[in-house]
Amino acid sequence: MNKTSGRKWSLLLVLCLSFTMVLSACGGGNSASKNEPPAPTNKEVSGNDQGGANNGGEGGGSPLDLAMKGEYKGTKVTMFGPFVDADQVKFENSIKEFEEKTGIDIQYEGSKEFEATINIRVDGGNAPDIADFPQPGLLASIAKTGKVIDLTTILDQEKLKANYNQSWLDMGTMDGKDGKIMAGIWNRSNVKSLVWYPKKQFEEAGYEVPETWDELMALTEQIAKDGDAAWNIGIESGAATGWAATDWVEDIMLRTTSPENYDKWVKGELSFTSPEVKHAVEVMSEIWLNKDYVYGGTKSIVTTAFGDAPAPMFDNPPKSWFHRQGNFITSFFPETAKVDVDYDWFYLPPIDEQYGKPVLVAGDIYAMFNDRPEVRAVMEFFTTGESIKTWVQSGGVIAPMNDAALDWYSSESDRRMAKLVQEASTLRFDGSDLMPGQVGAGTFWKGMTDYVSGTATLDKALEQIQAGWNN
Amino acid sequence: MVGRKKRKGSKTVVNLVLGFICLLWLIPTLGLFISSFRPAADILQTGWWNVFPHQEWKKSGESIQLSKETDLRQPIEVAGKTFSDDQLKSGVTVDGDRLMWENRRARTLSVMEQGWEFKPALTLDNYKNVLSGKEYKLKNADGSETVQKGSGLSQAFWNTLTIAVPATVIPVLISSFAAYAFAWLRFPGRKTLFVVIIAMLVIPLQVALIPVLKDYTSLGLNGSYLGIWLAHTAFGLPLVIYFMYNFISQLPKDLFESAFIDGASHFTIFSRLILPLSVPALASIGIFQFLWVWNDYLVSLIFIGNQPGVQVMSMKIADLVGSRGNDWHLLTSAAFISMLMPLAIFFLLQKYFVRGLMGGSVKG
Repeated sequence: MNKTSGRKWSLLLVLCLSFTMVLSACGGGNSASKNEPPAPTNKEVSGNDQGGANNGGEGGGSPLDLAMKGEYKGTKVTMFGPFVDADQVKFENSIKEFEEKTGIDIQYEGSKEFEATINIRVDGGNAPDIADFPQPGLLASIAKTGKVIDLTTILDQEKLKANYNQSWLDMGTMDGKDGKIMAGIWNRSNVKSLVWYPKKQFEEAGYEVPETWDELMALTEQIAKDGDAAWNIGIESGAATGWAATDWVEDIMLRTTSPENYDKWVKGELSFTSPEVKHAVEVMSEIWLNKDYVYGGTKSIVTTAFGDAPAPMFDNPPKSWFHRQGNFITSFFPETAKVDVDYDWFYLPPIDEQYGKPVLVAGDIYAMFNDRPEVRAVMEFFTTGESIKTWVQSGGVIAPMNDAALDWYSSESDRRMAKLVQEASTLRFDGSDLMPGQVGAGTFWKGMTDYVSGTATLDKALEQIQAGWNN
Repeated sequence: MVGRKKRKGSKTVVNLVLGFICLLWLIPTLGLFISSFRPAADILQTGWWNVFPHQEWKKSGESIQLSKETDLRQPIEVAGKTFSDDQLKSGVTVDGDRLMWENRRARTLSVMEQGWEFKPALTLDNYKNVLSGKEYKLKNADGSETVQKGSGLSQAFWNTLTIAVPATVIPVLISSFAAYAFAWLRFPGRKTLFVVIIAMLVIPLQVALIPVLKDYTSLGLNGSYLGIWLAHTAFGLPLVIYFMYNFISQLPKDLFESAFIDGASHFTIFSRLILPLSVPALASIGIFQFLWVWNDYLVSLIFIGNQPGVQVMSMKIADLVGSRGNDWHLLTSAAFISMLMPLAIFFLLQKYFVRGLMGGSVKG
C-alpha cells in the first residue's frame, strides 16, 4: 500500500511539473516574441514624440526618417486587414523594400472575417498595431470607443495636406471619445463610377462612347434593337446580396442631386422615402426593369453573382456590352482578356449638368491602435505613394496620394482612372459603407434586392430601407 | 415459418429505406466531388450530372439567316411559322429539331439536333492549385509579368495536426480522470460539481470569447499553440466528461471492489482497469473531439489568427477564395483534401465508434 501510494505521488508530481514546464516555456517564449513595451513607457514615448513632432526636426526628423536611418531595426509591427491571397502577395511586395531598408518587420495578417474579428480583437485587448478598414463606418464605430489613436499630432499635418486631396483627409476625420480625431489615413482607393465595355468589338460594331446620360440611353436602345441586351447586371453575393445595387443608387444620387443632399442622405438626415432618393432609383429602374436592356432579363439580376455578371461581355460576339462596377472587377475578367485592347471603361455619364462630374470612390483606411515609435514610422510610410508603388504597377488599385506619379500605372486604363479621381468635381465615398451597418450592410441591400426581384414595390422597399435607421 | 418470412421481408424494406436515405445523403457530396474535377466555367454553366453520358442538343451545322431588318420585339417569322423572341432565346422544338439564336445581332438561327454527349471535360487544376499553391501573375513597371507562387496547403495541414492531436488527447485524458472520480469516488460536493459541469454544456462558447481573449492577452498566450490547446480543451471538456462518465459509471462495480481489496490504489485501478476497458468510449469521443477541432474555424480565428506560421486548414481554405471570392471553385477540391484526415481517423477507429456510442446511451 505504502509503496504504491508513493509511486502514485511521484507520478503525479512529474505530471504536474512537466505540465507547468510546458506552460511556462510556451508562455514565456510568446510574450518575448510579442515585444510589447509596458503601457507606462508607451505613454512617455508618446508624450516625448508629440513635442518632437510639433517642434519639427528637433529629434533628428520624423519617425519615418529615423526608421530609414535604421533606428527601429529589429522591431515588429503587426497589421490586420481584410485582403488575402493575391492582394496579400501584392501588399507584401509593396512593403518589401521598406522592410529591408528599415529593418522593421511588418507582420501582416489577412482574414476574410476581418469585419467580424476586429471588434473582438479590440475589445479583447489584442488589437493589431495597424488595421486596414475597407469600411470607414466600421472604423467610426470603433473610434467612438476611444481605442483608436488620434493621428492629428502624430503625423505632420502640413505634409498630409500636401499629399492628399482635402476630401480624403475629411473622410479620415471621425468622432472620437472626446471630440473629433483623425482616425486614419487612406492608403488605397478604388473607383466605382466606371462602365466596362468590350473595347475591340465595341469599336467594330461602330458604337461610340456616350458622353451624356441621354446618349447612354440612346445607345442602350440601339443595342437592344441590334439584338443584344446592353447591360449585364448581377447583385447576388451570398449574405451580402444587393450591395452591387446600392452602388448604382449612390452613383445616380450623385448625378441627380447635390453633394450636400448626398451627405445628408448618408448621415440619415435625408430619408430614403424622399423624392430625391426615389427619383434616383427610378432612373436606375429605366435600365434595370427593362428586360430588353439587361442580359438574361430583370429576373436574372438577383440570381447572378456579381463576379459572374461581366462574363457575357467576353463571349465572341459579346452577348452584352456594359458593366457598371468598380475597378476591382477586373480580377473577375477572363485571364486571356487584355486591358486597353479587349476591354476598357468609360465614365458613367452625368445626368444633370449642374452637378458636374461626380466620382464615387471606395478605399481602405489605415488606423493605428498601439502607439510605438516604429508604428508611427510605418504609418507615416503608408501616407507616401512609395508604400503602394508596386501594387499600383500590378494594377487593380488607385493611389489616393498626390505623390503617386501617373506613370506608375502600367495600363492606360488605370492611368485614366487616377486622372478621373484627381480631376473629379465631386468626390464621394461609397454611401452604404458609411452608413451604419444595419442600414448600409442590412436593409439597404435587402430592400434593393426585394425591389429588383419584384417582391416589394418601390415605395415599400424604400420604407423598409428607411426603417433600418430606427433600429 | 410465416413469422420468419415476414421478418425477412421487413428487413429488406428497412434496408431499402436505409439505402435510399444514404443515397440522398451522399448525393450532395458526390456532386461536390465531381465538381471538384470540373473547370470553373463549366460549373457555372451546367450541373455536375452532365459529366455522365446524356442527350443534349447539338449544333447540326445548319443555320437560318433571317432578314437583318427583323424587329425582335415583334413576332418573328421563320420558315412559315411565327415565334416570339423569348421562345427563340430558350430554344423551340420544330419537327424534332430545335431552333435557337446563334447570333441574335446578325439574326442567324441555328438548327440543333439531339445527340449523345459522352466526353466530359475534367481537370486536375483545382487540386493542383490547392495543393501546391496558386500562381499570381504580377505586372512589373515595364509591363512585363512575373509569376509568383503562393503557398500550398501543406504548412496549414501540419499546423492543424499540431493543434488537433493535443487538443484531442488533453481533454480526453483529463475527462477520463474526472469521469472516474465522479463515478467511483465519494467526496463532498460530488453531485453539485457534476451538475455544474453538465450545466456548462448549455453555455455557448461564443459568450466566452472576449473574456478569454482578454486573459490570453495579459498572459501572452494569443497566437500560440498552447493557447489554442487550452481553449479547445476547456470548450470540449463538459461534453467529454459527461460522455466518459456515462461509460465508466456503467462498468461493473465488483471489479473495482475486488481490485481494491487486493491492494490496488485508485491510480492503479484507473490505469490498469478503467483505461483498457473504456477503449471504445475513448476512441469514439476521440473521433468526436478530433473532428470538432479539425473543422473548427471560430476558435482558431479568435485565438490563433491567420499568421502563416500557425494558420489552420479551415482558415487557409477560406483565404484561397480570394479577397472578393473570385476563386470560389477551389473550395470544391479544398473541401475534399481537408476531409481526408477525418475520414482516415474515422475508418481507423470506426469499429470502436459504434460500440462506444452504444456504451454511452444504453443505461442500466
